[in-house]
Amino acid sequence: MSTTPRHEILQDNPGTRACLLGNLAIVRGALEAGVQFFSCYPGTPSSEIGDTFARIAKDADVLFEYSVNEKITVEIAFAASLAGARSMCGMKHLGLAYANDPISTMPYIGVEGGMVIVSAGDPSAITSPNEQDQRHFSRYLYYPVFDPATPEDARQMTRYAFELSETTHLPVIVRPTTRVCHSSGMVELGPLPSGKNEIRFTKDPPRYVPIPGNVRRMRKELTERFRRAEELLQTSDFFPHSGSGRRGIIAGGVAYAYAAQVIEDLNLREQVSLQQIGAYPIPESLLRNFLESVDSVLVVEELTPLIEEWVSVSALRNGRHIPILGKHSGHFPMEFEYSPDVVEDAVRDFLNLDRRKKLSVSVPELPPRPPVLCPGCPHRTSFYLVGSVFGKRTVYCNDIGCYTLGYGEPLHACDTLLCMGSSITQACGLARVTGRRTVAYIGDSTFFHSGLPALVNAVQADDPVTIVILDNYITAMTGFQPSLTTPDQASEGIRQTAPRTVNTDADCGRIEQAVRGLGVREVYSVDPFDEQTTLAALKQAKAGTGLNVVVCHAPCVVDRRRRAKSEGRTPFVIDQELCNACSLCVRVLGCPAITIAEGKYEIDQDLCDGCELCARVCQHDAIKPATTEKM
Amino acid sequence: MNPADRQQNRPGWRILIAGTGGQGVLTAARLLCECFAQLGHQVVSGQLHGMAQRGGAVQSSVIIDGGSSPVIPSGRADFVVGFEPVETARALPFVSRHTTVYMNTAPVVPYVLAQRAALKKEQAQYPDVQQLADGVRAVASRTFAFDATQRAARAGSVRALNMVMLGCLLGSGSLPCSAEDFWNIVAKRMPAALGEANTKAFRGGTDLAAELQVGGATP
Repeated sequence: MSTTPRHEILQDNPGTRACLLGNLAIVRGALEAGVQFFSCYPGTPSSEIGDTFARIAKDADVLFEYSVNEKITVEIAFAASLAGARSMCGMKHLGLAYANDPISTMPYIGVEGGMVIVSAGDPSAITSPNEQDQRHFSRYLYYPVFDPATPEDARQMTRYAFELSETTHLPVIVRPTTRVCHSSGMVELGPLPSGKNEIRFTKDPPRYVPIPGNVRRMRKELTERFRRAEELLQTSDFFPHSGSGRRGIIAGGVAYAYAAQVIEDLNLREQVSLQQIGAYPIPESLLRNFLESVDSVLVVEELTPLIEEWVSVSALRNGRHIPILGKHSGHFPMEFEYSPDVVEDAVRDFLNLDRRKKLSVSVPELPPRPPVLCPGCPHRTSFYLVGSVFGKRTVYCNDIGCYTLGYGEPLHACDTLLCMGSSITQACGLARVTGRRTVAYIGDSTFFHSGLPALVNAVQADDPVTIVILDNYITAMTGFQPSLTTPDQASEGIRQTAPRTVNTDADCGRIEQAVRGLGVREVYSVDPFDEQTTLAALKQAKAGTGLNVVVCHAPCVVDRRRRAKSEGRTPFVIDQELCNACSLCVRVLGCPAITIAEGKYEIDQDLCDGCELCARVCQHDAIKPATTEKM
Repeated sequence: MNPADRQQNRPGWRILIAGTGGQGVLTAARLLCECFAQLGHQVVSGQLHGMAQRGGAVQSSVIIDGGSSPVIPSGRADFVVGFEPVETARALPFVSRHTTVYMNTAPVVPYVLAQRAALKKEQAQYPDVQQLADGVRAVASRTFAFDATQRAARAGSVRALNMVMLGCLLGSGSLPCSAEDFWNIVAKRMPAALGEANTKAFRGGTDLAAELQVGGATP
């Protein structure tokens, strides 16, 4: 008997049913397909896929890396596939757009080992600056795209995607959305493979080099590959049909799970013919047959009306003039994720059933709990100090990371935001046309992700911009994946594992060396908790003429705490004798550890990290370390 | 099993757990999933933890033998397990007169209230807990409100709050698994850190269920 694997996802007992998170089901599907190479850049809601691979890579004999950005993660996995490896790369929807350049040519060249890109979608933009619909990559760039409705779908589709990719030589996209990634459901474990692909790269330049002379041949091959993919999908398991009746419902993604649930709950199986669309391209014959079997169709899909329009074209082509309802007919909204309620209302309308009576539950007005920088977060200190030097009239261009939470009251550290790395470029554009010094905030991981080329551009232009790099030694927002300044990474050379030690002696030089090497002459390196030094550096930066860079080094407070497993710094308390409730600390810092009870401001001893910032802000000397209070 | 615990003719058990980040909502949901999956039930669970962080609002659904959708439709929760008063009230859209609600009465005060007070904005007070409980009870008569945080503290750690709430849910006898069996299954899957406190807290929860007669007839 083999020993128990270190992670439950690695257990090799086919037929076992387990309740798995969607993202873990994807990992399992890849393992069942014999994945050999995995790379990713983290991004909610996809991050658990990479984080799981980070933990199991050694045991599963998978080469793993957290890449620096999504373009790189796609390219490196593609190269692995050219040598025959079954390779996979992970990212969120924004990452797929970032990697659009390599992605658009890869289907022309084609893969050797099966290659799967898993790109998680975020309808309703719960943790993203936009919604976008990756299913369009099917028509736009000739990718087979899988759209799971449940974790079990996700496992099966991921496993099959490798086979489809290897058979057709097309890279394949698996697109789960938040409600699949972060839902748990029953999964039946399949067998783990006994062997894996042989690794060998055979030189064949006409095969791998898309210069114009080769591209025209490749383009013809691509058409053939895509046609073959549609043929294979037609006989796959990912277009299940259930029910009967002349009313048709076609659904994809998690919306299919909602539709199936509504049909079951309302006992409509005899009246409704339900067709799941689990993959794209949608096989034409499947649509033709379905359209012949029904008199009207309701399409249930989130984001763009892709299926709806696909079905409409098919109906037109086949001379089926029947109502095809969905977003264009107003049965569903164009934007945001659906809910079971939205789907139930539309299904009832479609079947001319009365709508469910809305319960007249009035929810009292409740205080919200918006996300906020943690107590002790070094970003708060940095924002406070930069704001005190540069003032309210300066424009602050922010970037993607925890520090976006500098938005609004009371830190006012985010006047613009666009995408990864854009703080630097936006600051340059604004500074150049307004002639005023502009501040860019960017974190360590985002700086290496796409801030570097922006910095090169800024050096060339020498715009009056101060770039404040907020280096907390970790990719905090997506769950503490390593960045280039994470201590252990420097010594290991490759970003294979999560670091194990607390960074006490930061590898402070790495960002500065890069910045100086690119030609920035004015570079300041500070610890934001060292107020005097930081203020002095910021004042000099403000007085500068061209581009300058201030690097603020201080570890992420949550990361420090979870690694140190110690109590951390001494919390602070408010001396109620000295506090006159002027509320200055709350008004300028917005620290969630400062709460109010019966008109008195207090510091939550459990939350306070002892960063001392509030004590320095207090003009009445009322905030002190808790230990002196106890004495 | 009490028929009042079940919605009319709808198979399965739909549980909505609500609380704030750091209270152990996701762990509670995970333990329910693991237990009922191991017992051979069909389990789905939905959660959102993108921007969720310490102090943020967290809702998690656990649906046992109730289909494949991870999201509970409005008004169709069989149980709402509220770890915090405001978060229990926030879950009201899932509640109907058929729902059983377990509500912890100990607040976690949102930091925004201090900001509102400092900036002299409206609604700087935490809502009256009694009024919140009455509001929930007005919709679901089977609402049981109690200070579960205190019970957890008595068991050794306020961080064992989720075990008190699970003890109460399982102790009611309304789910297809006894409190004893549940504990036997999940005990070995628990984070070791709290150890004894978790066990005591779970017992505290089952005791509460008995005291409040949550398994009893509709009041």
